[in-house]
Amino acid sequence: MLTAQDLAVVGFTLRIAALGTVLIIGPGIVLALALARYQGPGKSVMETLLSLPLVLPPTAVGMLLLSVLARHGSLGRWLDAAGIQVVFTWKAVLLATMVMAFPLLVRSARTAFEEVDPSLVGLARTLGCGPIAAFLRVTLPLAWRGIVGGTVLAFARALGEFGATIMIAGNIPGRTQTLALAIFQASQVGRDDRARALAGVTVLVAFVTLWTAEWLTRRRTRRVAT
Amino acid sequence: MADSTANPPCRDVIELALELPLARFSLRVAVRLGDGVTAIMGPSGSGKTSLLEAVAGLRPKTRGRIALDGTVLLDSATGVRLRPERRRVGYVPQGAGLFPHITAMGNVRFGARGAESRVRAAIECLELTPLLGRYPATLSGGEKQRVALARSLASNPRLLLLDEPLAALDVGLRERVVPYLLRIHEEWKVPVLYVTHNVGEALDLAEAVLLLREGTVEAYGPALEMLSRPAMARAAEAGIENLRHGRIIAHDEAGGTTRVLLDDGQILAIPLSSSRRPGDAVNLAIRAEDVLLAVERLHGLSARNIVEARIVAIDRVGRDALLRCRPGSESGPERRPWLVRITPSAVGSLGLTSGQEVWLAIKSHSVRLL
Repeated sequence: MLTAQDLAVVGFTLRIAALGTVLIIGPGIVLALALARYQGPGKSVMETLLSLPLVLPPTAVGMLLLSVLARHGSLGRWLDAAGIQVVFTWKAVLLATMVMAFPLLVRSARTAFEEVDPSLVGLARTLGCGPIAAFLRVTLPLAWRGIVGGTVLAFARALGEFGATIMIAGNIPGRTQTLALAIFQASQVGRDDRARALAGVTVLVAFVTLWTAEWLTRRRTRRVAT
Repeated sequence: MADSTANPPCRDVIELALELPLARFSLRVAVRLGDGVTAIMGPSGSGKTSLLEAVAGLRPKTRGRIALDGTVLLDSATGVRLRPERRRVGYVPQGAGLFPHITAMGNVRFGARGAESRVRAAIECLELTPLLGRYPATLSGGEKQRVALARSLASNPRLLLLDEPLAALDVGLRERVVPYLLRIHEEWKVPVLYVTHNVGEALDLAEAVLLLREGTVEAYGPALEMLSRPAMARAAEAGIENLRHGRIIAHDEAGGTTRVLLDDGQILAIPLSSSRRPGDAVNLAIRAEDVLLAVERLHGLSARNIVEARIVAIDRVGRDALLRCRPGSESGPERRPWLVRITPSAVGSLGLTSGQEVWLAIKSHSVRLL
């Protein structure tokens, strides 16, 4: 059975994953659109850089983040002077999940934007829409499926993030411990029953997430396709 | 080069002096167009669609000057470049370009400008009421075109750009959409630039014709005067229309026909046209799909014109087969071939091959006097 402590871990994980996903949606959509529309030099370099976190071992990403954010790191020094602690706090967990989930969202949204017929956007312009109105009324609704799909993938990735999190946030019960970390710890100390219960919770959360996304996009598709 | 001798029939309201680099050549158009319907014709890839997009403001590389009834849309010399949303130019691209995620009603309302009565009038004019709740994916080609036209009209445009609005439609549907197009110009008083491959369509709808070739204006003038130009004849072939020039020989009042001697020596019966005198020059148009073809000599047929001919070529045009049939015997005088448009299944079941002898039947009523 789940204890109060387990429930706290579940709550923390969901909050971090949700907050991380919400925070990357805006920048993710902007970057995805830029990549989809931009045709100049350096496009492939940018795309490769962006996909790097997908193929690197998460611990390597965590290590890079750690070296930047640690007290003597390039960014960490500045943050420390401002009195902001990131490493080994919930902020580090959030950052790790965001960094790992961001490329998934951008890739999926970019593909969706690329599939929007640019001539429809031009038509919206001739019908009186400015660039932003055309984006909101044509591009975004047409790319909706891919963006929802990417957001769900990002959320799922954020829920299960392990490697980068443990590198920069540690595994501190009550402070930085997420579901993935708690399962690992429980199994390490021989509490297989607890590990199994927590694993069961992750299955349930993942299922509900994917099912919701399926339902959202299905409803939309049916309208467009029939 | 614009033709300076030809006098367009309407008041000049559209001033074009623009240049736009394209992949193989530059579009260079300097011409003043009237406030009626101007057909833009020319071979595929001659820059017709690019011209419409440049006027709509969708080609940022366009330079030069575009003015519409006194309003400057583009003037590189003074740095004026109105964004597409400020130009009030309605554009209906090939295939209609409806927004797939909203209903027909949503599409018509999308860019509505001005009074609500305008939306209602556009819906009424194009008879869209039964379609309003449907999504574009469920509409037929003709219905899509009508919704797209209404969407443009509701946005209260100062100019309407239509890119082959009828090309995607089959012949029957085309006949049903043409009246809407005519009505638009008459009721809404909007100048129209109309890209088409079909000479018959241009003659039905347009007062003036602008012929483009490799991005430059090959000719511009009143539609009827343009007919005699060889460039127009080439365009007619592309549009699959038989165009013929000839002289009236005689009227047969009792029989209800007029006989015309074509330039290549053939004689054609057309519906009685008493207003013209024998000796008058006439231009005739017969749609390739209006010519019937038989593999045996025809007897007892009501069609007044039966032509003995030989198939010289069978081509594929879209879904149809296009036959070129040269009249008369091989030893006889050289005569212009007739274009005959039939289905591939007809070619198959009749076993048609190049060189075969055939009989063509042309109803006098399918001959249009231009």
